[in-house]
Order: sequence, then structure tokens, then C-alpha cells
Amino acid sequence: MPEALEIAFAELALGPELSPDDPVAVRAWLDQSGVDREDAQAIVDAGVDRLFVYRTLVRTTLREAVECSIPRTARRLGAVFDEYFARYLREVGPRSRFLRDVTTELLDFCAPLWAADRRVPPWAMDLARHEAVQVVVASELAGPGNAKRQPLELELPVRFVEAVRLMRYDHAVHRLSDALEDRTPPVTEPTRLLVYRSPEHDVRYLELTPLAAAILERLLAGAPLGAAVVEACQAAGTPLGESVRSGTATLLADLAERGALLGPKLQEG
Amino acid sequence: MPGEGHNVTGVGLGLRWEFLEEVLDGPPLDLAFWEVCPENSMHRGGYYPHALARIAERYPVFTHGLTLSIGASDPAPLDYLTELRDETRRLKTPWHSDHLCFGNAGPRMLHELLPLKQSTANARRAAERVRRAQDVLGLPMLVENITWYAHPGRREIPEAEFIAEVVERADAGLLLDVNNVWVNAQNHGFDPQAFILELPLERVRQIHVAGHTRTASGLILDTHGAAVVDPVIDLLEWTLERTGPMPVLLERDHDVPELAELLAEVHRLRAAYDRALTRREAPLARSA
Repeated sequence: MPEALEIAFAELALGPELSPDDPVAVRAWLDQSGVDREDAQAIVDAGVDRLFVYRTLVRTTLREAVECSIPRTARRLGAVFDEYFARYLREVGPRSRFLRDVTTELLDFCAPLWAADRRVPPWAMDLARHEAVQVVVASELAGPGNAKRQPLELELPVRFVEAVRLMRYDHAVHRLSDALEDRTPPVTEPTRLLVYRSPEHDVRYLELTPLAAAILERLLAGAPLGAAVVEACQAAGTPLGESVRSGTATLLADLAERGALLGPKLQEG
Repeated sequence: MPGEGHNVTGVGLGLRWEFLEEVLDGPPLDLAFWEVCPENSMHRGGYYPHALARIAERYPVFTHGLTLSIGASDPAPLDYLTELRDETRRLKTPWHSDHLCFGNAGPRMLHELLPLKQSTANARRAAERVRRAQDVLGLPMLVENITWYAHPGRREIPEAEFIAEVVERADAGLLLDVNNVWVNAQNHGFDPQAFILELPLERVRQIHVAGHTRTASGLILDTHGAAVVDPVIDLLEWTLERTGPMPVLLERDHDVPELAELLAEVHRLRAAYDRALTRREAPLARSA
């Protein structure tokens, strides 16, 4: 359990804004945090102005980390983004010891709220996720890849690099300009991207057809290759003909060439 | 004594993303060591840990953490400590250092160095946490004195006594940040040299220096966003004269200039370092 002084500092930094010139609010903040009366009095007697430096320091560090990760989303949403950032700090706050995780935590908090807020454009979460996935995939923990390449087998699942995500958006946010000042809205268009980290540590993006995405989605979930193709075709209402077989073979060969697909996932032991 | 086994002395630099590739691709630099923040590379794959491994093959590397939250009432999770241990092993650091502060309130991480109430009870708890960290890491810990802007509640013991109590009880080293001492001295009105003399100088294993920023209100913030000022270099020199040779780190985290400019600052610090050691050895030479 955190101690009262720790809670007080967390509330000071993350909670509603206090004015150091409002002694009633300052005293209420200390009392609500459960700070010992003598400590509270010592804080008030020493003057609280300097304590408020910590609010600025904490919020600046967190805000810079988020803006570094999703700069275009933050700029496009402006004051609305500021409002949700403040609300995230107030209601949840960062949980991870790694600063790079703050953006993902913020977006998980905002996702249901933005969907219900008419002030937030419908593409905003797509853009935010698209910006954020770059850091996620770039830093994803991964073991060593397969040393030697082996042919895939229909009965076996497929092994991808661990730093890979299949992203689905309702808007073509990946075609937006990187310019921070650009305000062009993205086209409404179902979009599927495979985002992966190359052997050279670069984050790469591959736009997928609906069927390719359906197959890869199943493969990423661990389905054997043959079953993934059959189920994806059934779900899409696409006959499993030669074009699907050759198209799948070409896709998987391309992914192997790019270093995103490592080979068959062999039974352990 | 913790951390006595290594032989790195002289001036090193904090490794920053801004010039990482220049270091990797360039010729060997005249630096005693690099210091890195392990939270940026642990629990992570990709370019950065790969690059750090290459740096560690060419230079001594010290790890300096930000989120151990030594003084918090809740101890750091064991999985965090074991991942930190793995990272320190990868980088072959002779010790791990972190700050005498707290950085979380229960599950809420503040990602900032917040001041502890200076009390015997807090010193004992922090010492216990440092001991636990040393046990899990299998490494000596160095504890760094922080800059603080306001004290949370009643001060029960003086800051120097608070710091000494922690490192003595934990049998840990002291990472003496002379810029933090100088900034605190300016902000709170005390003599930085007298403060340093109250610390257990025999436990100092490393020194930090950095630049800071003065706000409109007159308060000085430890921003690591400017060059080290002359009074801090003077205090470094004065301190080294009393501690003897050891690793000294130039920290720069904001408004990071070109590497060449930082290396010039390292050169300036090295001159102060050499002057201090010359003066330290002079009485011995005279008596020989």
C-alpha cells in the first residue's frame, strides 16, 4: 500500500489542478491523501509553491513521451487530446515502469471514450494506433530467429518474427502525410497492414488484401497453414482454387524473403 | 567496499540516442566509459539493445536507472528486478546505480524522481530495498543523491545524515551528484562544501555532473539541458581532491548538442579532474 505522502504526490502530479494560492484546496488535497497532520502543516508552513514544480515535471515527461510516439494524432486533436490526456492521468495514470508503454496505456484508456465522443473524428484512433505501432514493433522483445530456412508444411503452424502486428483500420491512415501541420482527413477505406520488424531492425509495413489478412490473422493465431487457408476462404466466401494457392505461396515466400516469416513452427521436444 | 573491483577512472558520457550511430560508426573516442539507462533497453528487442551490445564490446558501460523507486513503500516487483539483472549482465556493468527517491504511488508510475521525507524510518526502508536489489542483481548498488525542490513534511534528520544512513545500512556505494548538491544548496540556502564533507566520502564510487536551468522565479531546476556551469566544475574539482580518482559522468538529457560539443565539455571536465588529482598528490610528493 502506498503511503499517504506518496498518494499526495501522485494526486498533486496526476490529479485535478490545484492552485497554490488556494489554501482550502491545498489542505483538502493533503487531507484526502491521508497525510499526517503534522506533515501537512509542515508542508503548508514551508509554502507549497515549490511542490507544484513536481506536477509540471511529471506531466512534461509523460506528455513528451506520448507526443514523441503519436505526434500527428496529438496535433490534429489539439485541445480534445489535451483533455483526454489529463483525464487518463487523473483516472488511471501510467502503470508500466517503461516510459515507452505510456502511449499504449493512454490509447487503451481512450479507445472506448473516443468512440462515443462526437468531437473526436472517427479516424483518430486508427491514426493513433498506426503511429503507436511503430514504437511497439520497433521495441518488441524477440528471441533469435531460425538459423536455417525450412519449407512450410500444410499441417504445421507458421513461425513469424515476434515483432509483428496485423493492424486493421477503417481509414487509410497509412497514406497520410507525415507533416505535423497536415490536416487532410484520411480516406474511409478498410485497411489491413502487416507491420513487422526486419532483420535490419527497421519497422516495415505491408498492405494486405482482405483474404491475405484473413489467412495471416489465422496463422498469427497459431493455426496450421492448410487450415488457415481453408478457414479464411470459407469466411470470405472465396473458392479455394489455384489462384488462392499460388497467391498464398507467393505471399508467404515474400514474407520469408523480407525476414518476417521464419519457417514452420515445429513441435517442441 | 561495494564496486571496488573495477578500474575505470576518468570522465565518461551519458549515451544518448541523438549520437548513438555516430559512436557506433565512428573511431574509438577518448572517453573513460559510457553510462546508459537500462530501462531504455531492458524488456526490449530491436535496434537499441543490439546497438548497446556493440557499445559494450568497445567501451566500459555503467547502468544508471530511473525507476527502481528505492524509497517507495511498495518494493519494486521481482520480475522487474530480474529483467534488470539480465540487462546489467548483458552490459557487464560493475555496478548499478539509481536515485534515493520514490517514483511511484502503488501501481501509479510517476516517471519522475520524487523526494523522500528525510527520516530514519525512510532511510532504513530504503536501505532494505537497496540490499534486496543488490541480492537480486548480484551487483553492488550505488545510491544517488537527488535534487529536491520541496520537502514532503517534517524533516526528521538532515539530508546528509539521511543519505549516509541509507548507504551505510545497505553497505552500498554513493553516487555523488555534485550538480544536485550545488542546485539544492542554491535553492535551499546551504554551503555545498560543508554538505559534501558530511557525507561518507569513503563510499563515493562515482560522481555525476550536469547542467541546470534557472526559472523566472529564481528556482533552479536540474534539467540536464545545458552545459555544466563553472561553480559546479569548481565543486567537482574540490570534491575529487577529497575522494581521489573515480569515474565522473557528464549527463546531458535535453537540448542534446552535437557529440563534438559534448566531447569538448568532457575535455573541460577532464582538465578539472587532472587539476584535482595533481593537487591531491602534491602533499604526498612534498613529503616523499
